[in-house]
Amino acid sequence: MLTRIWLTLKQHRFETIAVAALCLIAAAAALGEAYRLNSIQLPAGCVIGPRFMSFSGDPSVPSTACQLASDKFNAIAYGTDIGLLRYVLLGLLPFIVGILFGAPLVAKEIEQGTAPLSWALVGSRRRWLFGKMLAAVLLVVPLLLVAGLAADVLQGASSPGLDPHATFENFSSRGVMVVFWGLAALFGTVALGTLLGRTLPAVILALVVCFLARGFWDVGLNRTVLPPLAVMQSENPQDPQNFPNGQMMYGQYSWSSSDLNVYYRTYLDGKPWDGDQSAWWNEHQPVQTTVKLDPSGLPVGVAVDIGTTPQIQGPYTVPFVIHGDRYWPIVALESGILLAGSLLCGAVALVWVDRRRPY
Amino acid sequence: MGAESGASNGTAALAAHGLSKRFRKKVALDGVDLTIPVGSVTALVGPNGAGKTTLIRVCMAFERPNAGNVEVDGVDPWKHRGEALRRVGYVPQKPAVYGGLSVEDHLAMARSLHPGFDRDYARRRLEQLAIPLDQRADTLSGGQAAQLGLAVALGTRAKVLLLDEPLANLDPLARREFIQVLLDAVRSEGSTALLSSHIVTDVEDACDRLVILGGGKIRLDCPLEEAQRTHRLTDADSPPAGATAVGSFLGRGGQKIMTLWRLAPDGAPDGADGVAAAEAASLEDVVLGYLAAGRGNAGLQLN
Repeated sequence: MLTRIWLTLKQHRFETIAVAALCLIAAAAALGEAYRLNSIQLPAGCVIGPRFMSFSGDPSVPSTACQLASDKFNAIAYGTDIGLLRYVLLGLLPFIVGILFGAPLVAKEIEQGTAPLSWALVGSRRRWLFGKMLAAVLLVVPLLLVAGLAADVLQGASSPGLDPHATFENFSSRGVMVVFWGLAALFGTVALGTLLGRTLPAVILALVVCFLARGFWDVGLNRTVLPPLAVMQSENPQDPQNFPNGQMMYGQYSWSSSDLNVYYRTYLDGKPWDGDQSAWWNEHQPVQTTVKLDPSGLPVGVAVDIGTTPQIQGPYTVPFVIHGDRYWPIVALESGILLAGSLLCGAVALVWVDRRRPY
Repeated sequence: MGAESGASNGTAALAAHGLSKRFRKKVALDGVDLTIPVGSVTALVGPNGAGKTTLIRVCMAFERPNAGNVEVDGVDPWKHRGEALRRVGYVPQKPAVYGGLSVEDHLAMARSLHPGFDRDYARRRLEQLAIPLDQRADTLSGGQAAQLGLAVALGTRAKVLLLDEPLANLDPLARREFIQVLLDAVRSEGSTALLSSHIVTDVEDACDRLVILGGGKIRLDCPLEEAQRTHRLTDADSPPAGATAVGSFLGRGGQKIMTLWRLAPDGAPDGADGVAAAEAASLEDVVLGYLAAGRGNAGLQLN
């Protein structure tokens, strides 16, 4: 089996080198950016909770030194370089790697006419493909893991004071999630390559499928498996912005970058409410005075007569979230779903390779 | 005209029974009955599109027959693929080699895929041909690549060798070398070979048996010697005594229409009427006659 793994990698020399180079470049870039952020040594006093304050006018604005450090930090943490690295290179890495290695695994053999040579020698085509897929997994998993862990380090550096494994910020494009997305892309593309028997069409179709899968992934999970795990934001006892009595008002709910927003629900008088918020406010909003115009014709402002009536508690929308401390269970859940999909695609490829023609 | 069967009664290395294969509306094999005796080197001859490749692919379980079945060394490859493939060595139509792998890598791969693969045997064959084992396969000449494919097939020490037009892309010298290596191996191992080709001269010296396939049907199946002994060629309409017409085709130079005649099974004596006057048919003439018969001699006329 070791010989077959080695020969598979040698046979796909270009893909092996490209995949290794991409992953190592991404990992090195992430670690480099993390080093730049860490080297600023943002003072602990400048960090407030999961975020650090840097805008002037806030009562908690720290000293000038802190401000300078924060500005420098922000310039890197929210700069274009890290944006490209995080959202383009690291975000797309598992898909590029999976498609790059997965598409030609079977399709190239069929296109180049080498499949009959191998299939005439091997008693079981499934075992043949299993060997090739094993080689791909043994290459792709460690490389993506290195890139994913480097992305974790970058996350930790760009959110000082926040454990990257206790926040859902960018969690799909770092850590082990990178590996499982890569496996899903790999096995999905192997299945497409086996079905189509052509590399380029498999690549194109895989790109479309991966784009759609990634695009609808969060929406799909937020509507299916995650809602039962989500809790009302206001129930977070550690959230400093919660109202002391646990009540929330329209437009005022706490937000934490560590949380994973799953869905929103509107309440009225403490009960779920599905009515038309605009209509409700039109009906209950205190009467506004007419907008006055200055001689130039431009509005000078809106005077709202709130009178002496207490502030109205109208319908309010509350996010239901999963808190960062549930990072690992959620990662395990999503990884499990991706792994199940990967195995399903792998099974499709194994079944089909046994039926298809080698040309 | 139905198939002229002359298969020997020995144990069959390969047997097809009522084998049919269709690709949508195109009939590739049409009720083929065929028996290839053990130890024979059989030429499977026919024009492009005759069904030669399809027949071999069915034997390799690459194609599923629509009707009938085939047995390789007594095993139906579609029902017991692993079992059947252990008994078959296969050389595909194109020299299919892994461009990025060395010759030695190919042998290592074959060993990892086929437990019974004799790497040393294959290596010796290649060394005899002075093919460097460390050379990358994509830098091999066409003849060397074909020899590598043959070495891989021979290394399986299979009882049956199926070679799908392996000579088509080779120069004459490479063709001769290929045939020689094949014959040496078959004779020393006692295996059976089915060699398909559409070029008759390629197989004339190598094979001891001839199967002509045309339009998906077996046109002739007999020992090579019998094929030549029982056929005559004339440019006249008068047949040799007791002979039946097979087919007419343009003779060499395109000056005459020649007719191939099949003599009576026992063979008419050379002194019989017309037999002495008729030319002995070459193997190519025999093949042309049967292929012309398959086409119905349509449009065959001299200006």
